[in-house]
Amino acid sequence: MQADRSAERIGDGRGSDPSAAILICDGLRRAFGAIQAVDGIGFTISPGETYGLLGPNGAGKTTTISMIAGLLRPDDGEITVVGRRMTPNSTRAKAEVGLVPQDLAIYPDLSARENLVFFARLYGLDAARRRERCDEVLRVIGLAERADDRADTFSGGMKRRLNIGIGLLHEPRLLILDEPTVGVDPQSRNAILESVEHLATEGMAVLYTTHYMEEAERLCDRIAIVDEGRIVAEGTRPELVATIGSLDVVRLEVAGDTVRAKAALEAHDEVTSVDTDGTAIVCLLPGAARALPQLLAAVAATEATVTAVEVRVPDLEDVFLHHTGKALRD
Amino acid sequence: MLRAALLILGKDLRLRLRDRSVLLFGVIVPLGLTVVFSLIFPEMDEFELPAAVVDLDGGPIGAAFADELLPELVAAEVVVEVPAADEAAARALLADGDISAAWILPEGMSDAVAAGRGARIEVLVNPDRALAAEVAQGVARGFATRIDEVTLAVATAAVSGVPADQLEAVGQRAATSPPLVTVEPLVAQDAQLDPISYLAAGMAAFFVFFTVQYGVTGLLEERQQGTMPRLLAAPIPPASIQIGKAAGAFLLGVVSTTVLAVGSRLLLGASWGPPVGTAILIVALVIAATGLMAFVGSYARTAEQAGNLQSIVAVSLGMLGGVFFPIGAGWLATVAAVSPHGWFLRGLGAQVADGDWRAVLPAAGAMVLFGVVAAVPAVLRLRKAIRW
Repeated sequence: MQADRSAERIGDGRGSDPSAAILICDGLRRAFGAIQAVDGIGFTISPGETYGLLGPNGAGKTTTISMIAGLLRPDDGEITVVGRRMTPNSTRAKAEVGLVPQDLAIYPDLSARENLVFFARLYGLDAARRRERCDEVLRVIGLAERADDRADTFSGGMKRRLNIGIGLLHEPRLLILDEPTVGVDPQSRNAILESVEHLATEGMAVLYTTHYMEEAERLCDRIAIVDEGRIVAEGTRPELVATIGSLDVVRLEVAGDTVRAKAALEAHDEVTSVDTDGTAIVCLLPGAARALPQLLAAVAATEATVTAVEVRVPDLEDVFLHHTGKALRD
Repeated sequence: MLRAALLILGKDLRLRLRDRSVLLFGVIVPLGLTVVFSLIFPEMDEFELPAAVVDLDGGPIGAAFADELLPELVAAEVVVEVPAADEAAARALLADGDISAAWILPEGMSDAVAAGRGARIEVLVNPDRALAAEVAQGVARGFATRIDEVTLAVATAAVSGVPADQLEAVGQRAATSPPLVTVEPLVAQDAQLDPISYLAAGMAAFFVFFTVQYGVTGLLEERQQGTMPRLLAAPIPPASIQIGKAAGAFLLGVVSTTVLAVGSRLLLGASWGPPVGTAILIVALVIAATGLMAFVGSYARTAEQAGNLQSIVAVSLGMLGGVFFPIGAGWLATVAAVSPHGWFLRGLGAQVADGDWRAVLPAAGAMVLFGVVAAVPAVLRLRKAIRW
């Protein structure tokens, strides 16, 4: 029951035509001291495509996008944005990228409009274009009515929307969104997801990092599953689910010693992956309906009691479990 | 590069002016403290010593004090003489606060001195007025020294065989002749500013070190509030962020110090000397302050930590430089040379004394040197602040 540590690519292995790609990353590596945060990541994104980096906290997603945005220099590998090599000093490549950092990156003492105008100037928009774009972005992010209010008077969701709006201001060819919905209320979260869907339809390439499986499933045309600085699988959602073959997911709610129960399930020949989620144990195995009585018997032998059983088809979380041997939330 | 630096500078100025801390610490507090200090310590502005002399001696030495020395001090506007008939009256005046000191010239003092027995001048003082007491005692000590000189001259003449009938003339001549050796005031004291100007300049120098702090704290704040990655992702040279911050701090320092100079001149009558020299000194002071505060702040990880470190250094250097009280000559003046504040006050004093703006150049040079020596390692160390 070893996790497959090699990246599994589906389709052409690159996912899109590199000659038309907005972003090409090749063999990116970056270490912080003894920690290898990114270890050979490579992918491409085409115009109008939303590409997801899905992985738990600490998987290397933020380090990867920091290199793509020109904040960090890779130890090895190359990044090309609209045909221009990206480095911390390449202003022309940076002009093609819009970054929405994970943490709020706004000036709380400036109004929404002042925030937008300042960054519009940094990106070199002339006065007429600046006015036009600021008004447009304020409308898109739903802050036109509060344009002249200071950002520190905004709710968390409004600040998040302003944070995203700044990234859109100069109409970048590539928009990078780093976990933009963390800490956001459901209503604002939905508004953010709708905005991202809309941007992709307008031809913008979007790089979206998240550890929420449902966001990746909803937004992303292709998804890279990232763990310990590597892409362990990449493809569309159906392609990724297909990588785990005809496995089923069995979720057992257990009362009693879950550690012993988990060990008993791991010892079962047909089970390929096991993980715990609170009092539940999640197993991947082929032919779940046939094997279920044996699984229940194995748990019962540990003197734990199964209080509920669920059998379902796999999702991305299960794909992650299959490829890494651990749950996405870990 | 320049365009981006100016944009960052403009944004920072807007933020700083909006939170009013610059206005408060750059102008209002230093100007207010200058006014408050000048009210608390009126003696610093116009010193006068209301005092009485009780001449119980009635001889030539008592007369020399009461009729010659005292009128000189009154004419020099150091002493305001208040009549007192006797010692009891003088003590009553002192107790009522009408005088700050009284000199009691004892009965038979002249005779005792002539006989070589020695005598004692009593100085009654009000302990609450330390400066007045010190001056009164100094006057008495100076007079006693002069008497000693005359006595010594007469004794020397007698031993040398001068006839006894000529000894009185020798004494008269010794009493009226100017001293053979005089001590000129040291340059540092000569170049001292008047008290109000000194206070205003001292406060300006002291607070500009707080005004320019934000050059570094601004960089650290950008990191703390999450805006640094956005700046670094923008199509601008990363160094323009550092330049914008430093330029903003420098500009605020120059403007606030200039407003203080003009304000203290108009409101308090402070004298800063020729404007050209003052401008050179202000620019040099702000260069020193910006460089030093950047260097100190480069050792901090957070804006709060930087602010604390910078405040400790700013207060220490201010004290060493004598921003609160004038430093005369001696070892304190030597210590003041390790502080840009001291050089600023020294330069200002020199140009006020000389009336020539070129007198500020040595002090301005010293301050620029401070700034450059501190800024070079600060810039190198702060490169990490504009990396991700």
